[in-house]
Amino acid sequence: MDKPYLPFYKLATVLLLLAGFAVQADETCMSPYMAKIVGQEDFVYVWTLGEEGLGDEQDKLVTIDVNPASPNYGQVVHTLSVGGRNEAHHSGFSDDRRYLWAGGLDTSKIFIFDVHSDPAKPKLHKTIDDFVAKSGGVVGPHTFYALAGRMMITGLSNNKDHGGRTAMVEYSNKGEYIATHWHPTDDSLNGAEKSGKYADGYGYDVRVLPRRNAMFTSSFTGWSNYMMDFGTMLADEEAMKRFGNTAVLWDLHTRKPKKVFDMPGAPLEIRCAWQPNHNYCFTTTALTSKIWLLYEDANGVWQAKAVADIGDPSKVPLPVDISITSDDSGLWVQTFMDGKTRYFDITDPFAPKQVYEKVIGAQLNMISQSWDGKRAYFTSSLLDNWDKKGDQDEQFFKAYTWDGKELNLEFAVDFKAEKLGSAHQMRFGAYGLYGLQRPYAARDIAAGE
Amino acid sequence: MRLACCFLLGASLVLAEPPLSIRLAPGDDKTGYRRADYQTDSLSLARRRGSAIDLAANARAEHLGLPPLADFQVAAPNAGAIQLGRKLFFDRRLSRNRTMSCAMCHIPEQGFTSNELKRPIGFEGRGVKRNAPTLLNVAFNQRLFWDARERELAQQIWSPLLAANEMNNPSVGYVLDQLHADPHYRELFQQAFGEPANILNTGLALAQYQQSLIAANSRFDRWYFAGDQAALNAQEKLGFRLFTGKAACSSCHLIGAQYALFTDHQLHNTGVGYQESMQKTPATVTVQLAPGVQVAVDQKLVSTVGEAKENDLGRYEVSLQPADRWKYRTPGLRNVALTAPYMHNGEFLSLQAVIDFYNRGGVQHELLSPLIRPLGLVESEQAALRAFLVALTGGNVAQLVGDAFAAPVGDTTASPQ
Ligand code: HEC
Ligand code: HEC
Repeated sequence: MDKPYLPFYKLATVLLLLAGFAVQADETCMSPYMAKIVGQEDFVYVWTLGEEGLGDEQDKLVTIDVNPASPNYGQVVHTLSVGGRNEAHHSGFSDDRRYLWAGGLDTSKIFIFDVHSDPAKPKLHKTIDDFVAKSGGVVGPHTFYALAGRMMITGLSNNKDHGGRTAMVEYSNKGEYIATHWHPTDDSLNGAEKSGKYADGYGYDVRVLPRRNAMFTSSFTGWSNYMMDFGTMLADEEAMKRFGNTAVLWDLHTRKPKKVFDMPGAPLEIRCAWQPNHNYCFTTTALTSKIWLLYEDANGVWQAKAVADIGDPSKVPLPVDISITSDDSGLWVQTFMDGKTRYFDITDPFAPKQVYEKVIGAQLNMISQSWDGKRAYFTSSLLDNWDKKGDQDEQFFKAYTWDGKELNLEFAVDFKAEKLGSAHQMRFGAYGLYGLQRPYAARDIAAGE
Repeated sequence: MRLACCFLLGASLVLAEPPLSIRLAPGDDKTGYRRADYQTDSLSLARRRGSAIDLAANARAEHLGLPPLADFQVAAPNAGAIQLGRKLFFDRRLSRNRTMSCAMCHIPEQGFTSNELKRPIGFEGRGVKRNAPTLLNVAFNQRLFWDARERELAQQIWSPLLAANEMNNPSVGYVLDQLHADPHYRELFQQAFGEPANILNTGLALAQYQQSLIAANSRFDRWYFAGDQAALNAQEKLGFRLFTGKAACSSCHLIGAQYALFTDHQLHNTGVGYQESMQKTPATVTVQLAPGVQVAVDQKLVSTVGEAKENDLGRYEVSLQPADRWKYRTPGLRNVALTAPYMHNGEFLSLQAVIDFYNRGGVQHELLSPLIRPLGLVESEQAALRAFLVALTGGNVAQLVGDAFAAPVGDTTASPQ
């Protein structure tokens, strides 16, 4: 497609015209710098891990048609195998939303897919295979988060000891390396305040609140642990010491760390509130099963506080992905071990209350919800060697509608039966984003939804 | 005293620069993590710097407490081959998917083993069933691996290079093709051996690097072999007397008149392996969730996310003789304070745990070595024994680690696409 990059406001106008109702974005965990979809998404791209002995055994981008008006609704319409098992994990669009960057936590390869030329058939545009060398030893590209003209990539590990000390790495939209921002450690706080007992230097997710010039990172674990058999790791007392216990506030503009917060038990996904006066973000600690709030106090100082338990923490339910609703009233929390999704009322961000739960499968990791909160999609895989073994290793994509009270299953794709692999992270695609017409006649699908 | 003085002189010639301050522990030190008052002690990776040393000189030097390398070496130390071997050792591209080097399991600042895992993780996260041994002083081991199945360093390399759960290369030829295709390696092989990489000289190069990792001249050596009375304190000297007397450790971890390798090069059954194979699976697993936070997790839940543990029968797996069940090679104990966790399965996290084990008399069963019996060591004696083991850390380990820090880490650089 030869159209120039559409700035957000223009794009939004175009889309508003196309869709005919006024919402701003699609799934709620996207970067605020990004061009948005409105209304019904056409596709979900599932970044999928290849499994030994299944199908072609390699990682692939799986495209599922999720538009109820489409003749292909509920079907896998395209798969694109990239070669090897790279520990496919997360992906993120460039700010113009024309490219999807997807990483491999094992090989540290980054696959950049063109999703704009034909949103139904992503193409491999470029592979970055020198991320480790370029970044000065960062291993495990995790989050791909669009900043203006840039891609901020969080690492999980390093090439010296395969432990948890790591950095964020900044690339240009063209795929050129720009800078490495190491997470603060005790000997090298780099100007940050160590507000508690920990400055471990670990990394995981990144999110920003541009209006507060704030950027937040969380912390997980290094290659040795995230690649390791989960059961073996739980029984290895040395390995279990190697988890992140920190979140860091950064100056978004200068990319300098400002404050290190103690957050024991591996804080993972970060989701910031959307409303203009809501200066806070949520994260959950995987091992200690708590919801944490990062908030600006009355004096304008950023603080961190554990605000709720998730399930029974002594049973290690393992909260993994979370998703905030666009009006900041609810938080979906997935717990891997019991396969449940849990909905928390967060109208008081300091006192989240669980109001709903449902078992989605034998195991559960990711969620993506539409901006209006009416559709939620779930996938099963956490990490190749952490996923359940045997019969309980269900691998699926499941599409639900949410009426505010109940999740209703619309369709499911069994990734094992389809010989695809293990379903991990989801991103939405739409024809309307690129000024393209859907190749089928529009039907009125609003009723009953 | 004279010997000590001469040795130190020799050592100072070996060093290119005065020793840097190098931490001989994980850069991300988790000591005290079980306690709620734990504080991080994490170093930035930018600080992980060191200076190259003359490894050939280190290999040729006399090391107080060790026999001459000449009696053990694969080949006479050769600077070009050592440099080549060093580059290979840290080259992550030498694995099938370019993520695993030898050094990812034998991590220099972690005693050339891995302190952060009981048993290391290889290709695509696959588990290796045994603890990684240190490579310091590996040249003096007459047989290699915990079950003594390999003879020479130059041969040993093909085990990890080809093992599906370590570096997973599809064939010897594939590895050699990679080396032939790389202009820098072509040049280094020409310089070191006058020929392209082949199955023998690749092994020789890695062996040359590893055999140069000699670390002795510990405080124990200065006291015992050089007569420096001040080198050990009274507690450590008591520990030595226990090691060679009441606790009889030296009946297997030998100390000779001229030098001490702390091994008899034999295989014994101490009960560690028997216990691992034969014990009933406990109903719960204690899991550390965060500093000061531990929970007992139902084994049934853990097994939903865990592969069955691979069995380990020790020397029996090589010989198929029932009497060899759970026999393992006596490891040398030099630098043992740096090489936790301990034993072939990494079962014990601390030296105290090892001493507790021996003090209990190992694990009683039919095949237990008659040399293992309850020792009746009181607490002060245990502390003395522990102090003695800590005094076995070589005086030059920091230089060897600093040299390793200076080595290039091989990662994919050119983007062919
Ligand atoms: C995946 C982790 C891993 C990698 C990679 C690895 N090793 Fe090891 N190494 C081990 C383990 C575990 C053992 C013990 C195995 C046993 O005894 O059965 C070992 C044993 C050894 C030994 C025997 C030491 C002794 O005292 O018996 C040597 C020598 C050695 N490795 C060198 C190397 C070299 C050279 C490479 C790279 C070509 C390498 N290793 C790569 C884990 C690894
Ligand atoms: C019967 C011979 C024997 C005796 C006596 C003996 N050991 Fe050992 N030692 C071994 C063997 C064999 C192993 C390896 C056992 C295994 O991995 O299952 C070992 C392992 C160790 C290790 C672990 C080293 C490592 O790198 O993991 C330490 C430390 C140790 N012994 C100290 C001692 C001390 C202290 C004593 C005296 C209290 C002692 N040993 C007595 C044979 C012996």
